[in-house]
Amino acid sequence: MANIRQLDKRRKSVRNIRKITRTMELIATARFKKAMDRAAAATDYTKRITQIVQDLASSGASVSHPLLVAHESVKAVDILVLTANRGLCGGYNGSVVRVAAQRRNEIQQQADAGQTSVSGKRGIAAMRFAGVPIEKTYTQFDDQPSFDEVAKIADDLIYRYISGQVDRVDVAYTKFISSSKQTPVVETLLPFAGLDVSAPATESTDASASKVRDDYEFLPDASAILQEVVPASFRARLFKCFLDAAVSEQIARMVAMKSATENAGDIIKSLSRTYNRARQSKITQEIMEIIGGVEALG
Amino acid sequence: MNSQAGVHCIVVTPERTELDVHCEAIKLPMFDGELGILPGRAPMVGRLGYGLMKLKASSGDQSWFVDGGFVQVTRDGVYVLTNRLLKPDQIDRQGAEEDLRKATEMVAKTPEARALKERALEQARGKLRITG
Repeated sequence: MANIRQLDKRRKSVRNIRKITRTMELIATARFKKAMDRAAAATDYTKRITQIVQDLASSGASVSHPLLVAHESVKAVDILVLTANRGLCGGYNGSVVRVAAQRRNEIQQQADAGQTSVSGKRGIAAMRFAGVPIEKTYTQFDDQPSFDEVAKIADDLIYRYISGQVDRVDVAYTKFISSSKQTPVVETLLPFAGLDVSAPATESTDASASKVRDDYEFLPDASAILQEVVPASFRARLFKCFLDAAVSEQIARMVAMKSATENAGDIIKSLSRTYNRARQSKITQEIMEIIGGVEALG
Repeated sequence: MNSQAGVHCIVVTPERTELDVHCEAIKLPMFDGELGILPGRAPMVGRLGYGLMKLKASSGDQSWFVDGGFVQVTRDGVYVLTNRLLKPDQIDRQGAEEDLRKATEMVAKTPEARALKERALEQARGKLRITG
């Protein structure tokens, strides 16, 4: 039978762990809600941008921009990997790194140049361990990535793409599909395909007011606006990736900490049972010894 | 849009919807100067510059610093899409001067780099104009 005091000590330490994981779960829940609100608030901008692009397209302006044009030969491919700064979030970091590494191997077969940039300490450590040369690292993104920081990265990528230093840009991150489903994905961001230029007539059937086509006046002109809209749209798209990653991280941590708390509860239960059994058998043994002693005296 | 109801002004940044108000008139900093919008303006899409956006309302006037972007005037409202919306007192002169200095020092060898530089210059000058 195991040592009673040892059992009690273990039970106490598991209880402490449970307290910690429970708190972490609560923190992750609060952060998840905040991150979720931010992600929801950010959709307004994307919607308006899409609306402007559709209006531009329907007014007869040709939608063309260097960011929309695929380069003829793909020689250099950049890959940006979005992971978390902290662990204890289940398979979140691991699965992103896995898909990123897989894509990187594919890239290396067809392209001979390109940079790998990683955001998040966990991903940086994992990529270093795998022996991947990392060009740029970012650790400033937590549960609330700021647009200004993301815009800097986006501007850098835009510049590299337009100036021909890179022919394709991929981003590996965890896509938020619903609060119960997030999947690690690798998406190609440049050449940019995020502009929905389909005729808006199909979706405007519900509101009677929008049936009337507006003839927009463009200042200075449609093509000049397009020159600005496409980069803005790309920045918003990249920002969306960061927001998705932040929300998914909190969900992953929430789930991981929830199961850790539950598991700690189970361990405490089984430890308590062994402890009680050990204590009882010790008491029984002592009584037997006393009875034995009394009998020997009598 | 009911022209009697004034102008419905919605300011959206990539992070969130910053402002959603009804007002009598809006003055916007466009790429080439100021543009006033009164109720019932014809639909328009325009490029914004860097400067002060002024909202005139019966409850009081407001002014905000707009950091580039677009404006779309539709029949249901005026949508301002900008990277940042700041209160004018959030901009300090020293920071703006520093930005201008940095922008002036940028080396622009390619057309793309020149466009970036011009953008940075305009942005810094817009900020300076407000603090000045």
